[in-house]
Amino acid sequence: MMLSRRALLAGGGGLAAALSAGVADARILPSAMEPLIGPGYKPTDRDEIGLWQQMGRVEEELSGSNLLIKDPALNSYLQGLIGKVGGPAAKDMRIYLARIPEFNAVMFPTGFTVIFSGLLLRMRNEAQLAGVIAHESGHFLRKHQIRQWRDMRTKTDVFAVLAMGAGVAGGAAGVYTGDLARLAELGTILSLFRYNRTLEAEADAMGVRLLAAAGYAPNAMAETWDQLIRELDTSAKYRRKKRDRGYSLFATHPAPESRMADLRLSARDVTVPGRVYDDGRGRYLQAIAPIRAMLLDDQVKLNDPGASQTIIETLAIDGWNGLLRFHEAEIWRLRNRAGDDTRAASGYAAAVGYGDAPPDAWRWHGVMLQKAGRAAEAKVAYSRYLAMAPNAPDAPYIRQLLQ
Amino acid sequence: MRRSIIFVVAAALAFPGCGTGLGGEGIGFGGYSLIRARSVEVGDGSVVVTPTREWNRVSSTWSIDDIRAVEDWTLNGSSLDSLSFVTGLKGGRYIIRQSKRAAQQVPKFRSDMTAPEVTAMLESFYRVKAGTIDFRTIGLSPRQFMGYPGFQFDFDHLDTDEVWRRGRSVGAVIDGRLYLVLLDGTRSHYFNAALPDFEAVANSARLQR
Amino acid sequence: MRRKTIVVGAAALALSACVQTKQYADVQFTPPQGNYKLLVMRPDVTVGSVTTGGMVEPRADWTETARANLLAALKAQQAGRGGNVLVLERRDALPGVDAETVAELERLHYAVGSAIALHKYSGAYLPTKRGKGLDWTLGEDAVALGHKSGMDYGLFLHAEDSFASSGRVALQVLGIAGCAVGFCAPTIGGGGQFAYASLVDLRTGEVVWFNVLQTGGQIARIKFGDIRTADGAAVMVERLLGRMKPGKDVARAIKARR
Repeated sequence: MMLSRRALLAGGGGLAAALSAGVADARILPSAMEPLIGPGYKPTDRDEIGLWQQMGRVEEELSGSNLLIKDPALNSYLQGLIGKVGGPAAKDMRIYLARIPEFNAVMFPTGFTVIFSGLLLRMRNEAQLAGVIAHESGHFLRKHQIRQWRDMRTKTDVFAVLAMGAGVAGGAAGVYTGDLARLAELGTILSLFRYNRTLEAEADAMGVRLLAAAGYAPNAMAETWDQLIRELDTSAKYRRKKRDRGYSLFATHPAPESRMADLRLSARDVTVPGRVYDDGRGRYLQAIAPIRAMLLDDQVKLNDPGASQTIIETLAIDGWNGLLRFHEAEIWRLRNRAGDDTRAASGYAAAVGYGDAPPDAWRWHGVMLQKAGRAAEAKVAYSRYLAMAPNAPDAPYIRQLLQ
Repeated sequence: MRRSIIFVVAAALAFPGCGTGLGGEGIGFGGYSLIRARSVEVGDGSVVVTPTREWNRVSSTWSIDDIRAVEDWTLNGSSLDSLSFVTGLKGGRYIIRQSKRAAQQVPKFRSDMTAPEVTAMLESFYRVKAGTIDFRTIGLSPRQFMGYPGFQFDFDHLDTDEVWRRGRSVGAVIDGRLYLVLLDGTRSHYFNAALPDFEAVANSARLQR
Repeated sequence: MRRKTIVVGAAALALSACVQTKQYADVQFTPPQGNYKLLVMRPDVTVGSVTTGGMVEPRADWTETARANLLAALKAQQAGRGGNVLVLERRDALPGVDAETVAELERLHYAVGSAIALHKYSGAYLPTKRGKGLDWTLGEDAVALGHKSGMDYGLFLHAEDSFASSGRVALQVLGIAGCAVGFCAPTIGGGGQFAYASLVDLRTGEVVWFNVLQTGGQIARIKFGDIRTADGAAVMVERLLGRMKPGKDVARAIKARR
C-alpha cells in the first residue's frame, strides 16, 4: 500500500494510516533475518573471489583519497560502533569517513563502508548513527552485493565473467582519481549497489535487529528517515518545487515513506517492554565535537536554507547552544531575502549570548552592528573577536576597522 | 574561477584525415580569444587593465550562463589557472547564472556588503558551484583597489577532483557596485606562476565611467 | 561536482568509425633513446558501461582487467626500446618518495592532462599556445620527484573505455551526469575509447609529448581492440606510444641536415 506524496501532504490522516498499516503483507520480519556470513568470512565461489579482489583495489584507492577525514579518534569511534552493531562481522568491517556534505553511506561487498560527513551532521545521537551503520551492515551480512551482482551479471555482458578470471591476480594497479566524487554523485560508480526493494527491506529488518541487540532504541532508524524526508520537503518547498525525485540517496534507497512505516512496525516487534534503551547522545556529541563546527559550516555555506534550517532545528530539539544559534544566523545571512539582514543580526546577537559562541559569531555580530550604524558597539564586538582569535586570517582587516 | 558551460559541438574533435577534417590549430570553434599585453577593457567595459603578458579570454559566444559584468581569462586552461573580473556588479545581482529552483544557490551581491560578506559570497560560490569540499581562508586584509579602499582575500580550496587550489582576490565595493579581480590556480605550480601577472593586472586596474 | 561542464555534441562521432591519433610534442622534443630511466606512473584507467540514459557507469571488473592488460602491454612495449623502465604499481612503491607525494602528482597530472586534451584536441584552442607545440608543465613537484627517484622521464597514461549496453544509438550527447556538473577529460558518450599518454621530462617538469587516441562507435569495436583483452590493450599501447615523433624544431633540424 504505497502512499503517494500528495496523500501524505493531504493531512496527518494519510500519514497515520500509513504508519499503522504499513506494507503489512510485504514486511520482512527482523526475526527472519539471519546473517549469511560469519566472522572472518572469505569467499569460496570463483566469481565472488574475483569481486573481492577488485574491491580490494577500490578500497586501496579510496583509502588514499584526500577527501577523507582522517582524524584518528573519530575514526576509532566509528569503528567502535561497527563493533557494536556489526553482528558476526563486527571485527571484519572497516569504515571510512568522507568529507562530502550529503546524507549517505555506502557499503561495499567486502565489508568496508564509506560514510559521508553530511550524515554525521544530521544524526541527533549515537543510536541514529548506529542505526545507519546497522542498516549498512545488514547489506553485508545478507550478502546483498554479491546477490545483486550475480543477478545483474546474468542480464548483461557475459564477457565480464570470463575476463575476470584471467590475469586479475597479476596485481593490476592504477588510479581511481576522483572516485569519491563519483560516489557522491551516486549510482554511477557501481551499479551493483542499486538495491531493489526486497534487499532494502532486508537491510532495514536486519538493521533493526542488530540495533536492538546492541541495546539501542530500535526506533532510531525510522527517526532518521523522518528527519531526512522533512529536510527534503522543506528544502523543496523553499524553492517552490516538488521534492527532488532524483535525489542521490533515493537512487539506492527507494520509497522512504513506506520503509519508514515498516521500520516503525519492526521496531515495535523487537522492543522489549519496560527495557530502557540507550540513545548515546552524550558519547556521540563528545565524539564529533572536534568536527561539529566544520560539519555545520559545510552544510550552511551551501545556501540551501530549507534543508539547513530543518537540520538545525532538529539538532536543537536536544537544546539550543551558541554554535547552533550562530549557524542559524548564517543561514539567514546567506539566504538574504527581504528582512533577513535584520533576522541575521538578531541571530548573531543571540548567539554571542551563549558561552560556547564561536569567535566568528562575534565578528559577524560586529559587522551587523556596524551596518546598523552602531559603531561603538561594533568596535566592542570586533575587539572581542580579535581577543578570542588574534591570529584569525581576517584579523588584519578587522583590526583596521577598529581604527 | 570558471563559471561557464561551454557547448563544444560536433567539430570538437578536430582530427585531420578522418572525415571530420578540421585539422591543426587554425580553426577550432572560437571558444577563446587573444588578450594582448596592453590596456584592455574588461567585463562591462567600466574597468581597464594592462596585462604584462598575453592571456586567453573565454569567449561569451558559446557560454550559456555568462554574466555581462564578469569576464574570465586563462593561461593554461581553467582547471589549472583562471583570472576573473567582476565589474560594476549591481546590488541584487549574482556573479553566476543559476536556476531559481536549485536547492543550493550562490548568494546574490548586495550593494551594502562589507568585505567579509563579499568574501563569504565567493566562498559559497566555490562550495555550491565549483565542487569545493574544503575551503580555507588564509587572509583578509585591507588593500586599495583602483584608488578606492578595498580588500585582498587569500584562500586555499580542495575540490572534488582531489586537487588543492589557491586563490587571491583584490576588490572593492564602489558606489554600491562590486569590482574585483580574482586569480585561481593549482597550488602546485600554476597559481604561483600566474601571481606576478595577477598583481600587475590588479595594480594597473582603472575605473572608467 | 567540478568547475565547468563541457557538453560534447557527438554528431561527428557517428561519422568517425576510424581510429584517430594525433601527437603533440614540445618543439624541442627528441624521443628518448638509449639509456634513459623511465617511470611509468600508475595508469588511470576506467572502463564502464553506458546506460541507455547516456551515463557511463564505471565497472570495477572491466576496469581492473583493462588496467592489468595495459600495464602488461606497456612493459612489453618499452622493453623493446632500451632504457630502464620502472612501472609504478602502487603509490608507495617508489623508493625515496612517499605515497602522498606520488598522489599529489597524479592528481595534478589529471588536471593538466585534461587541459591538454581539451585545448589541443577538442577545438577549444588557446590562442597564446599557437605555434608552441606543447606548452604545459607539471612544475617543480615533478622535478623534485625526478631528483628523489633518479628518473629522467615520467609516463602518464589515461584511458577510458565504455561499452554501450544494448539498444544504444550512435548519436549521443555526453551525459553530464557522467562527470556530474564538472570538468573532466572529454570522453565519447556512448561507447568508444578515449586515451591519452603524456611524457613528462622530470629534469624540467615539462610535458614534452602528448598523444591522444580516440576510437568511436560500437560497430567498430571488433577492429580496434577491446582493452579488456590482452591483444586489445597491446593495440592501444602501440597506437598511443608506438610512433613517438620528434618536436617541430628538432624535425626541422633533421630535415635541414639531409
